[in-house]
This record gives sequence, C-alpha cells and structure tokens, in this order.
Amino acid sequence: MRLGRQLAPVAAFVVLAVVVLVLPSFVSAFRAQQLAYVAIYLVALIGPNVLTGYTGQISLGHGAFMAVGGYTTAILMTDYGMKDVWTIPIAALLTGAVGFLFGLPALRLSGLYLALATFAIAVSAPAVIKRFEGFTGGGSGINLFGVPELTASLTPVEVLGRELVFNDWLYYLTWTVALVGYVLAWLLLRGRTGLAFRAVRDSETAAQSSGVSLPRYKTLAFGVSAAYAGVAGSLFAIATTFVNPDTFPIALSILLLVGVVVGGLGSLVGLIAGAVFIQFLPIWSQEVSRSPGAPTVVSGLILIALMFVLPMGVAGLAGRLRTLTKR
Amino acid sequence: MIRKLTLALPALVLVLVLGAGAALAGSSRTEADPGVTSTSILLGTTSPLSGSASAYASVARGADAYFKYVNSKGGVLGRKITNTIVDDAYNPAQTVQATRKLVEQDKVFAIFNALGTEHNEAIRDYLNAQKVPQLFSASGATTFGSEAAKYPYTIGFQPSYQSEGWVLGKYLARTQGTAKVAVIFQNDDYGKDLLAGLKKGIQRSKVKVVAAEPYEVTAADVQAQVAKLKASGANTFAIFATPKFAIQSYVFASRLNWKPKLTLANAVSSASNIMQIASEGGTNKVVNGSVSIVFLKDPTDPKWQNDAAMKLYRQVMKQYAPGANASDVYHVYGMAAAWTAVEAMKKVGKNLTRAGLVKVVGNLSISTNPFLLPGIGLKTSQSDHFPIEQMLLQRWQKSSWKSFGGLWGYRGA
Repeated sequence: MRLGRQLAPVAAFVVLAVVVLVLPSFVSAFRAQQLAYVAIYLVALIGPNVLTGYTGQISLGHGAFMAVGGYTTAILMTDYGMKDVWTIPIAALLTGAVGFLFGLPALRLSGLYLALATFAIAVSAPAVIKRFEGFTGGGSGINLFGVPELTASLTPVEVLGRELVFNDWLYYLTWTVALVGYVLAWLLLRGRTGLAFRAVRDSETAAQSSGVSLPRYKTLAFGVSAAYAGVAGSLFAIATTFVNPDTFPIALSILLLVGVVVGGLGSLVGLIAGAVFIQFLPIWSQEVSRSPGAPTVVSGLILIALMFVLPMGVAGLAGRLRTLTKR
Repeated sequence: MIRKLTLALPALVLVLVLGAGAALAGSSRTEADPGVTSTSILLGTTSPLSGSASAYASVARGADAYFKYVNSKGGVLGRKITNTIVDDAYNPAQTVQATRKLVEQDKVFAIFNALGTEHNEAIRDYLNAQKVPQLFSASGATTFGSEAAKYPYTIGFQPSYQSEGWVLGKYLARTQGTAKVAVIFQNDDYGKDLLAGLKKGIQRSKVKVVAAEPYEVTAADVQAQVAKLKASGANTFAIFATPKFAIQSYVFASRLNWKPKLTLANAVSSASNIMQIASEGGTNKVVNGSVSIVFLKDPTDPKWQNDAAMKLYRQVMKQYAPGANASDVYHVYGMAAAWTAVEAMKKVGKNLTRAGLVKVVGNLSISTNPFLLPGIGLKTSQSDHFPIEQMLLQRWQKSSWKSFGGLWGYRGA
C-alpha cells in the first residue's frame, strides 16, 4: 500500500510523458504550436504556485520576471550569437538571482503590501525596458525570426534522427523543459523544503518557533519561483520570436495568478489545467463573439462562473472526486 | 481483451490507409495558393478588439463592412471575400500567435491591414519567409515602406509619420519664419518618426525646436511635460501624441495659461470627436487654430454631405456595420484600405496568386480613391512601398476642420 502510494505519481507522470511524446502525430503542426504555449504557461505557473500556493506570498509581478528571462534570451541570441537552447539555463540563473534579491526587501512586507510591491514591478517593467533602449531595442523590441541562432525557424532541424519543423521543434523543446521543471518542483516540494514552505504559509510564528528560518525560506521561494518565470519567459521569447515591452504586460502577471487559482493553489497536478485555461481562454472567448470589447467580457464571465463551480480550482475538484469514490 | 484487439487492429489500419489516400488526393487536386478558390478569397486581420487601443478596432470594422458590400455586388471577379478578424489586445505577442493561426490553420490568402507598428514588425519576417502578403499595414512607421527590398511581401498604406512631420515642418518654415517649437512626443517609433520628420522639414530655415519632451504610453498623465515645455519660452506647440495624451496636452496647456501662437496636431489624434473633447466646449483657446494634416474624407465635414463616395460610406456602414458610429473617421480609413485591396485583386485578374498580388501592389498607380481627398493618388514602386504620400493641411476653426492650401507631396526621403 505504501509502495503503491509512492508509485502512483510516478506512474501518472510516465503516462503524461508518453501522451506528450506521441501527441504531435495526431494533431496539426499549428495545434502543436498552441500546445507548446501550454507547456510554457505550465512552467510559468510553477513559479507563482511555489511562491503563492506553497509559501503563501502573493505575487502580482511574475510577468516582469518573465520579461527578464525573455530579454536575457533575446539579447544573448542577437548580441552574443548564442544558440537559443543554451540561453535557457542562463535566463533561469539570472532571473533566479533577480528574484532572490527582490526577496530581501520583500521580507519586510506581507500579504497585501507584498502584492502591491510586486504589482509595482509589473507596472514599471515596460517603462524600465524602454529606458535602456540601446540594450533592449526600446519600444520596437528585438526580433528573433530568421536569426541563425533560432533553431528551425527557416529550415527543419534534425533531432534523434527525426526532422522537426519549427512548430514541432517548439513543442518538443517546451514540453521537455516543462516536464523536467515539473519533476524538479515535485522533488523540491515533497521533501524538507516543501514542508518548510508550507509551514511558513500556514503560520509564520509557528514555523519560526519550530526552527524554520523565515528569511531563508522566503527568499528561496522567491528565487525558485522567479527562476521558473525566467525559463518560461525565455521559452516565450523563442516561441514568439519577438520581444518588446508590450509582450509582457501587467495583464500577463494577473493571468498567471488566474492560472494558478484555476489550477488549484498548492497543487502541482492542477497546473496543467491552469495552463490550458490561460492559453485557450482568449481563443474560446473570441469564438463566442468578436464584436469590439466582447471577448474581455466573455472571459470575465467564464472566470466568475468557474470560481463558483470550482472554488478550489481543478485540483480541488480532483480531491473532491477522490473522496467521493472512496466513500 | 485479445479478441477486442484483433478486431480493432484491422479497423485502425483501414482508417490509416483511407486517411493517407485522402491526404494524397487532396494534395494533387489543386495548384492554387491557399485561401483562394474559384468562388472565395480568405483574408485575415489582427486588430485590438479589446485592450487599451480598442478605439482602433473601427478600422477593421469599416474594412469588413466594405468587403460585405463588394460581395453583395458580385465580389472580386466572382470571388466573395471573407475577412477573418482576430483580436490581439494590442499585444504584439498575441499578434504573432493570431497571425500564425490565420496563416497555418485558417490558411488565409493574405494578411490585410493588421494594426499597430510593433505588431506589424513582429510578424513581418515570418510573413515574408512564408511568402504571405502583408497587405496595407495599418501603421505610419517609415520602415514598412522604406525596406521594400528586404521585405517584398510587406506594404504600408497611410502617409508615413515622418512625411507628416516633414509637411508640418515645411509649413512652419514657409509661414512662421522664426517660430520656436516645443514638442511633446510619445516615446516610441511613432512619436520619434514625427519629430524626426519635423526637424527635417525645418532644416535650412530659422525655425527651431527649442524643447522636446517624451512621455511613455503607459504614463498616467503628461502634466509635468507640458509645464516644462511652457517654461521653454516656445511660441509654437507640437503635439505628437495619441488621443488620450493629446487631449491632456491641450487641457494642461490651457490650465497653465500657456498661449502658444500656433499648435500643431497629428493625424492619429486629430479626429473631430477628439478635438471636440479637447476644446472643452469651445473654451480652450489652445485648440483654436490648430493645424494638422489630412488625407481621408472626414465623415463629420459638411463639405462631403453630398459627395457620392461618402453617401456610399454612410449607406454601407448602416447596412453592414449596424450600431457602429459612422462619424468615426477610422471606419473611413478601413474602407479606403479595403477599396484599394479590392482594386488590386481585380487587377491581378482571374488567376489570383500571392506572387501576383505582391507584384501588383508593388507597382500601384491609382489616381484617385473615393474615400481619400480628391487628388490624392496611390503610387508605389519596387523600392517605394508607401502607397499614400500626399496630404492636405487643415485648420481647426469654429469646431470643425477646414482644409487649406494645395496638396503637399513628401520629397524628404
């Protein structure tokens, strides 16, 4: 029984990995590209989930961390001639460091005040990016399409004996990164660190009196979640082949929080549903009506309805089903 | 279990074989470009239907109404036009995804009149690599017309911001001798192109730009900038700002009791309804006598009350865009672009291909467009992808624009 409980997540993960591997054979190249964005959002959602869901620190600024990752990749590719894949770990390290540093002043803030402070980063990010025009290309941004460092954009690339066009390449790249990131997050959160995070979330005083160092775990949570956002931003830049200040708007930060809540705070399983939701919500809501302003209203209504039906997100639904079947 | 498998396997093989056969048959049937059949043409447009710039959604709406009108008259040589409009929320990352959907999933013949400067820049390399025409980009950035050699599938539409600034500069140089100009401009390609054009226009004259203050499009207001510009001692105020900030500039200048001799506005924010708001019911003296450029027929201008094209415009809007505000000049813009697209596709003829369309719009020579001011033609060449390069000056008097003088052609490039 104990072994079974240990193996269940592994088995579920293997099934997921197999589905991911064979799916492109059944869908169009365009659909594969849309699913690549789901993988990117999945990586992006792990970040705020570690911070908000597990550690209880609300962040409205993860879009800005994505921007740091995206610009790191774009600048390394165009100015330093680095191949796109190698910029991903650098984006992770750099954004992680930025997140860690931001975690230091954030120690003094809690709850709503922290949310406001992180919101301020998201608001100011576009203006800051424009300020350093020589470096970031200003408002016009940086175009990556056709740059030789971008894999497969013009000619197919061969991976393990298979020729991949751009869309399929994006799909496999993003899902590989997403699955690796998912496993790493799972390993981190199931052990001692995850326990400490949850202790901080549930009661800072209790955590502290049990010997959990608040500064250490809060800054760690900030660093880790920013690193995930950085990787997502880097992949976003590669997939979109373009970055400019408007590609990382305030709405993106809010959308990420929406994705985490829809998926289920403090759960990794629900995040896939959250990622599917934020990728396809704008597309679905346009199917309902295309008249000016209507898509926004439709997405808002869907969101309100969803929060009524699934107050604990998709992960909460899964939990409820489990208790039902046990009875 | 095993029996189920033995049944399912042949069925699966059968499906796969049939599917492959159908795919082969499909690929050998037609040689034409995607999006064109003997009875239809599919065009795709990205537009900010939501978000901060949703006022510009009227452009796509006006164009779509005109296409529907053309369809009711038999279409383009028997082909009916379908124009799929996708929302990009004015975010270039969404423009990229929406454009890929239009090209790869919907398989459009061309991207038509996509809106926004960075938005068109973000999809330009992709569309040229895919050899999909990027027809009449709705942006005045100079780059869409000047890089025709590098991007043969991309073509602009309206006069470039640089040419607009140049005409305003030339006007100052000729009539205002020693004007000292203070400029407020949006800190992006749009604002900077206008400023660069103005500076080019006043070269070799006594007119000077004494102060230029940028603002970010994300800013809350521009009060600080206007105060600084007033302090510069300038006697001419140039407002190169989008509608919200243009209105603020007028209002703050008036509140600060600044009385510039002349104010210059730009085409992006000089629609009559915006000027009405800025004039604060006629009490704002800074608005009076403002000078701007114009190339479209303004639906609020009484001069066009009995003009045949504007009568058609109002009828088309009423029939195919019910509920839309027909006095919004952005609809006219969309219709002018749609008219040109229809003319170009007619010229390509019965054998409508992407390469054929690009060749035609790269050698345009149309002397009039009914929705543009009389005398303004559309001309392009292999090295010049700016269709419209002529404009008139207009002055805001007694709550409406009055054009004056003759046509100005840009000769600064």
